[in-house]
Amino acid sequence: MKFISTIPAGKEAVIVQIDGDTRFLSRITSIGLTPGCNVKIIKNDKNRPLLVYSRDTMIALNKKESENIKVEEKVS
Amino acid sequence: MIDGKTVVALLGQPNSGKSTLFNGVTGMKQHVGNWPGKTIEKKEGSFARGGKDYIVTDLPGTYSLSANSDEEVITRDYIASGKADVVCIIADSSQLERSLFMLADYAGIDVPCFLMLNLADVALDQGKQIDADALKKKLSIPVALFSATDKNQYDSFYRCLEEAVKNKTKLETSSLLEEYKKIDGFSDLMSIIPENVMKNYSPMWITAKIAEGDKIVRSKVSFELKEEEKKKYKEIIEKLEKGALYTGQSKFNWIDMLLEGAINKTETKPVFGKFDKAITHKVWGKPLVILVIIGGLLASFIPALPFMGIGTVITMGASALNAALAEGGVHPILNGVITQVLIQSVSYIIQMLGFVFGVTLVFGMLEEIGIMARISYVYDNTMGKLGLQGKSVMPFLISFGCTMGGAAGARVIDNWGQKVLTIALAWSVPCGAAWAIIPMLASNFFGMGAPLIIVIILLVMVLNMFLIAKIFGPSLVKKNDRFGLIMELPPYHKPKWGSLFKYVLGRTKDTFFRVIKVIIPICAIFWFLSYTADGIPESTILYKIGNAIEPVTKVFGLNWKLFTAYVASSVGKEGAVGVLTALYSGTGTIYGAVMGSNAAVDNQAALLLANIAKPEALAFIFAVTFNVPCIVALAATYKETHSGKWTALISLYYTAFSLLLAFIAYHIGLLIW
Ligand SMILES: Nc1nc2c(ncn2[C@@H]2O[C@H](COP(=O)(O)OP(=O)(O)OP(=O)(O)O)[C@@H](O)[C@H]2O)c(=O)[nH]1
Repeated sequence: MKFISTIPAGKEAVIVQIDGDTRFLSRITSIGLTPGCNVKIIKNDKNRPLLVYSRDTMIALNKKESENIKVEEKVS
Repeated sequence: MIDGKTVVALLGQPNSGKSTLFNGVTGMKQHVGNWPGKTIEKKEGSFARGGKDYIVTDLPGTYSLSANSDEEVITRDYIASGKADVVCIIADSSQLERSLFMLADYAGIDVPCFLMLNLADVALDQGKQIDADALKKKLSIPVALFSATDKNQYDSFYRCLEEAVKNKTKLETSSLLEEYKKIDGFSDLMSIIPENVMKNYSPMWITAKIAEGDKIVRSKVSFELKEEEKKKYKEIIEKLEKGALYTGQSKFNWIDMLLEGAINKTETKPVFGKFDKAITHKVWGKPLVILVIIGGLLASFIPALPFMGIGTVITMGASALNAALAEGGVHPILNGVITQVLIQSVSYIIQMLGFVFGVTLVFGMLEEIGIMARISYVYDNTMGKLGLQGKSVMPFLISFGCTMGGAAGARVIDNWGQKVLTIALAWSVPCGAAWAIIPMLASNFFGMGAPLIIVIILLVMVLNMFLIAKIFGPSLVKKNDRFGLIMELPPYHKPKWGSLFKYVLGRTKDTFFRVIKVIIPICAIFWFLSYTADGIPESTILYKIGNAIEPVTKVFGLNWKLFTAYVASSVGKEGAVGVLTALYSGTGTIYGAVMGSNAAVDNQAALLLANIAKPEALAFIFAVTFNVPCIVALAATYKETHSGKWTALISLYYTAFSLLLAFIAYHIGLLIW
C-alpha cells in the first residue's frame, strides 16, 4: 500500500483506502474516487496538483489532500 | 406550480451541460437573480410548449447533494420544498458512471423526476452504445439520450418532461436500498428514523445522509429522537466514521447494476493532447497561461469597440446638446444635470461596459472550452497561498487592463468568499487608466527616476495583495472552507457562440441597469460639488471643503487642488491629470476633466511642473494609483459580490491605504528633496 502521490505518471493503480474528514470523503466520492476503483496517474509534478484519470474522467487533486488516498500499484 | 405554470428544475454535476440545456429551452427568456439570503446566482427562465407554460430553474452545479457548501444545501432545500413540480436530472453520457452519482444522491427525494443523458454525440464518438430504455425500465422514470447542443433533439426532452409531469414519475430506489443495507448498521439506523422529520425525504435518503456525517440532517434527526433511541443512534453513528465512503461505494455499485446491459463499455482512454501537455508543463505552463490571458485581454477589445464608438458619439451629442440648451436659455443647472450628469455618465458607462462585455465573452468562452480549469490546475499552488483558487490569476491579469473587467472576470470563481477576496485583491492592480497617467506623471517629475517608481508601485501592489489576504482573507474564506483542489479537468468543448453571446448580452444589460443606479447618484453628487456658475474653481463647493480640510490633507502631501484631483480619481483615474490641469490652468471644468470632455491644454507638462513640488507629486502618484479604481469598478464590484457591506469595506480600505502611502511618499520625498 502506497500514497497515491508516490506513483509516477503513466502508471496505474487501484485505490485501497481513503482517509480524511467527512467533508473530504464526501467530496472525493462524489467526483468518483472510491476504494476499489482504478486510477491512472497522468501527471505527478512537484508543487502541482496530481492529475489522475478514473471513471472516464480527468481529475486534479491537491497534493497534500491526496495523501489521504492509498493505492496498490498495478504491475503491467 | 406558479400561476398555473409548471416549474422544472435542472439538476446536474458541473459540465453535464445544464447551462446549455437551460439556454436552449428558454432562449432569451431568462432572468438572473439571487437565492434568498444568499449570494449565489439563481437563473430562471420560461418557455411554452403544447399550449402549456413552463418555468425553468437552473440549480447550482454541484457534485452531490450533501451539506458541504451553500450551493448544495440550496439545491436540496429547493427540491425538497416542492416548489418545482418536476426535476430534470442531467448526466453526461460520455462519463456516465461517474455522472450518475447525482441520480444516486437524488434517490429518496420524493419529487417527480426524469433523466436526460446528455452529450450523446461525444459518447457515440467514444464508441459507446447506451440503451436508454433499459435504464428507463430499471428506474421507472422517463430517460432519454440526447445532445443539448442540438436543438433538433429537444423533442425527447419535451416528451420526457410531459410524461414525468403527467404521471408524476418517481425514481425506483429499492435496489439502491439493498446496496445500502449491506453497510453495517444501516438497517438499524433506518428503523429508528422518526416519520416525517424532513418533508419529501425518504427514510433511506435520511439514513444515508446521517451515515455520511451530514451535520444538518444529523441535528434535525437527533432532535426528534426519543430518549431511549438516542443511545442506539450514538452507537451506530460511531461505527460509521467513514460513512461517506461506504455510501459512496453503495451508490457506485448501484450505478454499475443499472449500467449492466445498458451500455456496451465504460472504459475509455485518457485524452491528453499537445495543448494539455504544454499548458500543464512544469516550466512553460505558467508563462503560457499568462500569454493566453493576455491574448484574451487583447481579444476582449474587439467586441468592446462598437460600445466605445457608441459612447463617443453620445459624448459628442451631449456637448452639442449642452451648447444648444445654453443657447435656448435653459438654466445652467438643469442643462448640466441633463447633458453632463445623465447623458455623459451614461456614455461613460457604455464605454466601460463594452470592455466588460468583451471580457465576459472572451473569458466565458475560455471557461466553456475548458481552459479555465487548466489554469486552475497550473496556478493552484501559487494562488492557494492567498487562500484563492488557481483561476484567480485571470481577474488579476485582466485588471491591468480594467478593474471592472477584472471584477466581471471573477465570476468564474464559484465560491463567493474567494470571489470577493479576488476582487478585493484585483483592485490593487493598477488599471489601464492608471498606466495612462502614472508613467507620464512620473517621467514628467522624476525623469530617469520614473522606472524606479514603476517598480516600487508593482512591489507595493504585491505587498498590498498579501496584506489584504491577511486582513480580509480569514473572514471571507473561512478556515474550514480552505480545502484543496478536487476538480474535474473536462475534455475540450467547442464553444457555443450563439448562446454564449446571448447570455453575455443579457448579463451586460443587467450590469448596465445595476451599475447605472450606483453611478448616476455619485456623478450627480460629484457634479454638484464641482459646479460653478461663474467658471471659477474657487466658487465650487469642492473648493470650500478642500480648502477647509487642507490642513489635514497637507499632512498627506496633498494641497486642495491635488486632493480634489485625488477625489476625482476615485470617479475615474484617467481624469486625475485633467482635473489638475483644469485647476492650475483655470480652463475647462473639473467634471468635464473627469469625463474626458475638456479641451486639451498645450503646456500641460510644464504647467504641472511649475506648480507642484516633487514630494507632492510623489504623494499624488501613490495616492491616485492605489485609490479606489473608479466608480464603475466599484459598481461592478457591488454587482458581482452582491454585498454593499463588502464593497464599502474594500473602498474604505483602499482610501485609507492610498492616503497612508501618500503620507509615506510625501515624507520620504521631503527628506530627499
Ligand atoms: N458535444 C457536446 N457538447 C456539449 C453538449 N452539451 C453541452 N456541451 C458542452 O459542454 C460544456 C459544458 O456545458 P455547460 O452547459 O456549460 O455545463 P454545465 O453543466 O452548465 O456546467 P457548469 O456551468 O460548470 O455548471 C460546454 O462547452 C457545452 O458547449 C452536447 O450535447 N454535446
